[in-house]
Amino acid sequence: MRYFGRVITWCLILLCIILFARPSESSMNERANIKDGESDEEKKYCLNCHRKTGSIKKFPDGSSVSIYVDASLFDKSVHRTLKCTSCHKEFSDKRHPNRGFRNRLQYEIKESHICLDCHSKETIKAVPIHESLFKKEAAGKAVICTNCHKAHEVGHVKAGSIATSEEKYCLTCHAKNDRMFFKNKQSKSIHVNSMEIRNSSHKNIGCSDCHVGYSAEEHQRRIFRSEREYRLSSSAICRRCHFDKYSKVSESIHHSMLSIGKQNAPTCVDCHGGHAVSSLGNDRLSVVQKCQACHGNIYDVYARSVHGSALFNENNRDVPTCIDCHSSHSIKDPFSPDFHDYIPEMCSSCHSNQAVVGKYGLSTDVVKTYLSDFHGVTLSLYRKDAQRRYRPIRPIAVCTDCHGTHDIAGVMGADKNVVKKNLLKRCQSCHNNASENFPDAWLSHYKPNIKTATMVFIVEQFYKIMLPLMVAGVLFQVILDIWRYFLNR
Amino acid sequence: MKSENPSNAECIRRFGSYRIIEHSVLIVLFLSLAITGLSQKFFYVGISQSVILILGGIDNVRFFHHAAGVLFTALILQHILVAFAGVVLLRWQPSMLITFKDATDAMHNFRYYIGLVSSPAMCGRYTYKEKFIYWLSLLGGIQMVVTGIILWFPVAATKYFPGQFIPASKAVHSNEAMMIILLIVIWHIYNSIFSPEVFPFDKSIFTGYIKRGRMGKEHPAELSAFDAREEINKAAALVNRMKKKDD
Repeated sequence: MRYFGRVITWCLILLCIILFARPSESSMNERANIKDGESDEEKKYCLNCHRKTGSIKKFPDGSSVSIYVDASLFDKSVHRTLKCTSCHKEFSDKRHPNRGFRNRLQYEIKESHICLDCHSKETIKAVPIHESLFKKEAAGKAVICTNCHKAHEVGHVKAGSIATSEEKYCLTCHAKNDRMFFKNKQSKSIHVNSMEIRNSSHKNIGCSDCHVGYSAEEHQRRIFRSEREYRLSSSAICRRCHFDKYSKVSESIHHSMLSIGKQNAPTCVDCHGGHAVSSLGNDRLSVVQKCQACHGNIYDVYARSVHGSALFNENNRDVPTCIDCHSSHSIKDPFSPDFHDYIPEMCSSCHSNQAVVGKYGLSTDVVKTYLSDFHGVTLSLYRKDAQRRYRPIRPIAVCTDCHGTHDIAGVMGADKNVVKKNLLKRCQSCHNNASENFPDAWLSHYKPNIKTATMVFIVEQFYKIMLPLMVAGVLFQVILDIWRYFLNR
Repeated sequence: MKSENPSNAECIRRFGSYRIIEHSVLIVLFLSLAITGLSQKFFYVGISQSVILILGGIDNVRFFHHAAGVLFTALILQHILVAFAGVVLLRWQPSMLITFKDATDAMHNFRYYIGLVSSPAMCGRYTYKEKFIYWLSLLGGIQMVVTGIILWFPVAATKYFPGQFIPASKAVHSNEAMMIILLIVIWHIYNSIFSPEVFPFDKSIFTGYIKRGRMGKEHPAELSAFDAREEINKAAALVNRMKKKDD
């Protein structure tokens, strides 16, 4: 009996849980439905009047505002889940007060305050683009949210829509061919080609995003000594967004030249352009041409090299351009020991890669053979020892010391005697009295074989047999000796 | 060094102080050359790089290797000169020369090892095993000196030899070094340390003395010659004394 009593009690508890749980679920749904329904009902009610296109509200000063609401646009807006009365709090199906605005501006200002109910000033300020608006407000000028974000179709401001309007404003002056003057009597056109901006990487950026301090509200007057000084100052603009690149540049030879007053050293806009800014990344030819502007002599030498001629004649995408070796932003002093010691790695990025050099019939062993020979071993050990910053009197030969730097020529199919003569000259630059035989000491990146290095090949084969044979022989003798000793015991 | 008592009749003087010093110098030079050489040959191994860094970089390691090489060359040269002068002028026994008996001793010992004969070969002052490692080290050492000089002065070397001599010398130098080191490590270290006959350590090259028992086992011919010499010396001393008495 006691058992049945317990079962019935548990069953009753379970029943209660089920009964209480289910209605609560359904009641939530109902509430949601009611809410949605309410919202829909309310919207329908309001739209009875506000769906009429062309209906306007007139203000005493003659200005007017459209009271038409496009329901389809509202449904796509970020506020689509809100009710009409969520924003228009004074209105309801029972109340529709007639508010006495003097003009449209007064109406818009009042309506803009609605936004602040949900979007606090702090969150609005957190968006950099709003900063100038608050300055404007502080100066006593009206800031109307809906001018940018729209009213019922409210959404994020699409990049470009503001920029375009700002651009239009700026171009009222900057489309003209007026000139700005510098202290040294130089002058520069202030003309901005809007097509250049539209085709540039910055097409979605407003003028004031780069030219901080210049907008419809303010236009500082700055004085530069020369046009060059003006251009150099522009790198500070780029730094605001491209800080990673800027910090790389600040370690470069170009920056150190600038810092000692050599104003001709390039800055961001010299390579990337101003309003026609581009990343240059994919345009290999224009990369080389950018460098040519200052390094014309090297450009000419490069153009004749095996790499340059393939770039210019075949538009070959495998050959390196300037930035592949020198990097694009953190360009090191090419005469520095660090750069020199890094060259084998630089060359190996292509010449050890079968996918890059394989199709030209080039060996991928070139770096491996270099690194296992005297020069390569020494270099790698110097690099291991870099902490002591020990430097030998003369740097150790790397790829470019034998092959040349910008004038690298292919050796495939070349006259062997000419190659050897050229190589001897390279050898003699470090090994003063090197004789004609000396270059043969280097096996030209080939593993020794019977044809290319007979003597070395024979020696290696001899020891390949002799060494294991000798070792096995003495081991055998040792084993015999121990065996006999223990047998005798 | 002289832990053994020279007056003890159980011990026999096997090496003079000149050979003791020569061998000690050779140990130091061999170790220096092996450490500095192997760390260059296997430069990519962590321990080699640590050795190179401890010795102050690759240039220092090369300097030590060259310096030890110069001393090693001097050691080999003086050894050859002394041996030559000793044999020609002082009428030393050329006991290190390889003879036909060494071949028969080796064959005999092989048969002894596999149990065909009951006793080992009657070896002389130096066994065929000692001669093998001696000649391998001496000839290998000369080879190392020659190729080492070529590698040290490649520009001068290529004035007289084809360029390929340099990489070939490098191949010889590094392979030969490897062979000598391996044979010394396996063979010489076994025979003078790990062999059950001498374990834990054969001190004779450092003290100059060897126990009569071991001498009898390893160099029976030398022992009987030594005993014969002793007998002759004793007899000569007796004759001298008798002569003095007569006078």
